[in-house]
Amino acid sequence: MPQLDFSIFPSQFFWLTISFFLMLFIFSRFIIPKTGEMINLRKAKIDEYLEKAASLKVKIEKTLDKYNQALKKATDEANASLQETRRETDAMIERRQAELAADLKRQIEDGEGKIKAAKEKALKQLEPVAEELAQEVLKKLGFTDIKSADIAKALDRIREN
Amino acid sequence: MSSPMEQFVVKPIIPLQIGGVDISFTNSALFMLLAVLTSTLLFAFCLRKRSLVPTAAQSIPEMVYEFVSSLLRENVGVEGLKYFPFIFSMFLFVAFGNVLGLFPYAFTFTSHLTAVGCLSIIALLFNVCIGIKRKKIGWLRTFLPKGIPVALAPLIIPIEIISFLSKPFSLTVRLVANMTVGHIMLKIIAGFVAILGVMGIIPILFNSCIVCFELFIALLQAYIYTVLSCIYLGDALHEH
Repeated sequence: MPQLDFSIFPSQFFWLTISFFLMLFIFSRFIIPKTGEMINLRKAKIDEYLEKAASLKVKIEKTLDKYNQALKKATDEANASLQETRRETDAMIERRQAELAADLKRQIEDGEGKIKAAKEKALKQLEPVAEELAQEVLKKLGFTDIKSADIAKALDRIREN
Repeated sequence: MSSPMEQFVVKPIIPLQIGGVDISFTNSALFMLLAVLTSTLLFAFCLRKRSLVPTAAQSIPEMVYEFVSSLLRENVGVEGLKYFPFIFSMFLFVAFGNVLGLFPYAFTFTSHLTAVGCLSIIALLFNVCIGIKRKKIGWLRTFLPKGIPVALAPLIIPIEIISFLSKPFSLTVRLVANMTVGHIMLKIIAGFVAILGVMGIIPILFNSCIVCFELFIALLQAYIYTVLSCIYLGDALHEH
């Protein structure tokens, strides 16, 4: 078996050492740095982009936060303004209603006063007629000595009741 | 029919001797240098135009780079990345040695105990150097882990030394055996083609499948060799 021929050992050892260290030299000096350079550059670039993305994300979050705050503020203001308007409107309606009620009451009172006056006037006009009628009735019944002042008094009492 | 073992014979191309030691440039040495040359050329070709967004060619070395670096991170930890060039070169050296051997008439130097053994010894020495540099004299603790009673030392120390020295051996034998068996199988089945005549199409088809399988094995074994080296490197760096 040629593999077990150890007489070739020095030659194999010599050439293998030379070849391997030649390879090690070429690769460690030229090939590996050249390959590694691009890989590291790429990694650095990717890291840079990732970092950029992260910082942009923070920025976006801040802006969004600001937007939300502004929106909330505007909503609050609008709500406050709405409330104010509603309160004013309510107050105005109340005032108007009160005015209207007062006006109506006054008109009713005026009307009532007028009615009362007319009623009194009518009653006053009725009084002499009633006295006369009472005297006539009494005369017919035979009571002649009754004075007209007593009749008036009695009529007054009836009216009051 | 030639012997299936013939493909593993190391033949000198340029006879060379230094101080009586034979260091001839052989077909094995040629394929070692070819592994270096092809891997360098392939990577240089793929990296000729580099851009931030990788081209298809550029992504090949980058994939291998990420693959080996994740291997190191998982098995050794972040501190292992310092030794990345060593592990990276070793992975490619073995992978290209294995794959180049699959070409017809090629020589598979990774099927030789002497060649892979040297690489494993280099890896072992590398680990020893790192261990000593890292832990100074405390590196000797490798052979007598903390918490072991001194009374057990005469038993533990030889066991630990054997296990330490068997690491490169197991690494070597695993790779060599896999490569050798695969190539012998290819050769034997190829031998049937001529014998069977028209029916030779069957072993040809079978061999085509096996070549694909061997390609997978070639890369898998390079991966296993590298993973185990990483684990041994981790052992050298960390406490037992």
